[in-house]
Amino acid sequence: MKDMITIVVRLTVSCVLAATVMGLCFIFTSNAKKHNEHIKEQQVMYELLGYKDGAEIPGSLALHEVYRYVISSSEKQSIGYVVPQGHGEETGFIFVNIDLNGVLIETKPIALSESEVLEAETRNKAVLAAVGPGYEVSFADQTIVVTDNGKRIAYLLGGKFQGFKTFVSVMLAVDPAFTLIGMEILEHEEDPGLGAEIEQDYFKNQFKGKPFEALKTINVVKAPIPADYLKALNGKVSEGDILKFREQYKDHDIYALTGATISSRAVSNGVKGIVTKFSYRVNVLDKVLKEQQLAVSF
Amino acid sequence: MANDKSSMQLISRGILSENPIFKLALSMCPAVGISTTVMNGFMLGVAVLFVQVFSSITISLFKNLIHPRIRIPTYTLTIATWVTVIDLVLAAYMPEAYAKMGIFVKLIVAFAIITMRLEMFACKESVKDSFWDGLGMGLGFMVGMMAIGFVRELLGSGAILGYDVLGFKPLLFFILPSAGFFVVGLMMAFFNWIEIYYKRSRGLK
Repeated sequence: MKDMITIVVRLTVSCVLAATVMGLCFIFTSNAKKHNEHIKEQQVMYELLGYKDGAEIPGSLALHEVYRYVISSSEKQSIGYVVPQGHGEETGFIFVNIDLNGVLIETKPIALSESEVLEAETRNKAVLAAVGPGYEVSFADQTIVVTDNGKRIAYLLGGKFQGFKTFVSVMLAVDPAFTLIGMEILEHEEDPGLGAEIEQDYFKNQFKGKPFEALKTINVVKAPIPADYLKALNGKVSEGDILKFREQYKDHDIYALTGATISSRAVSNGVKGIVTKFSYRVNVLDKVLKEQQLAVSF
Repeated sequence: MANDKSSMQLISRGILSENPIFKLALSMCPAVGISTTVMNGFMLGVAVLFVQVFSSITISLFKNLIHPRIRIPTYTLTIATWVTVIDLVLAAYMPEAYAKMGIFVKLIVAFAIITMRLEMFACKESVKDSFWDGLGMGLGFMVGMMAIGFVRELLGSGAILGYDVLGFKPLLFFILPSAGFFVVGLMMAFFNWIEIYYKRSRGLK
């Protein structure tokens, strides 16, 4: 009995000690970690837009975040968007609720600042308050509209799809005509040496410059990449030649990775899904915004 | 049981005569799963080295306070704490390194080699000796992982440290986890053979 009590007490004490050390460490590092993640995300975004290795980002460039929510009650479903209203210091956000047929249900202002809206929890609460009781809201995805001097130049789309093992998380950049201008694989757990090759340039760059028409029906072919095209994909030829190859192969399917056809197919289908769904959604959203004469920042 | 070995002997023991991978055959899962390239082996080796040294020191410091019946949970707790601390610190202050090492660091909690060193050495010996023992074992693990990684990277992807040296991929099979067992087994046999040969040539048994 005495032994049991000593064991329990000592084990508890060691657990408490360990927890204190870990907790303290977490408190001291969490801010720096969040900051790093934010910087990395920004860096990925700008790289996708073509500002690589610290190239100067023009001041006229602005990023506007649009958050999409699925609003559901027992009877019906609708899609809610949180869009920024104007830009600058004195701005808020508008919540736009659109039903599945693309008809506006309601709009409501949301009083959140630009830093508050980045916090998922605060944002979710604000959306829940805007739709009122009896509805469930769940965050779907986030799109970033990029404007240059008020003119839209690109969209940055985040997305997730099933890979060979678990989810593959990507960020895509498309221009206003939905031509893919860049792709970055953010997270994946594919096999090293096989499926993990999806993050290599020679695979990712195959998607670059594919027009919307090609993306809609994109597939993979099981064939080796032609040697000259491979060189271009790895960036070993001049800028002009790369563009030439991109033009030549723009309607061509994606060459599958050796030994990783499933991963290659997963990525091309995932990209296809993200872009086609987005093109539909953004058209609906634009139509509603125009009809309602809503002042948004993009 | 007092330790009668010098610090250098403790280190060389970890790398050669009691190499965690080739002699003690501990922590085979990570050795097989991660060691697909030299760089991966090195990264995991560094992470293990830190956790092993810190845990050894901690256990050695508190060895008189640990109740013998609950020593294994205490070891696990210590390792888990250090792994978490290293994980958090890396993520916060060295994001570049963390991007490459992150997944390896979290795996270390379940490594048999660390628990085994705490049980066999650190809970009996002085802090100084535990430090050298932890360093030796960590280095031994790192060297072993890099050796396996070297063979697998060369045969599997035809490259060393990411540089294409062969220009083609001889045996794609070597990248897969199952091939890791073949590599570890063959290398173990190879090192044993060298050792036996060496001893025989010097007239030892």
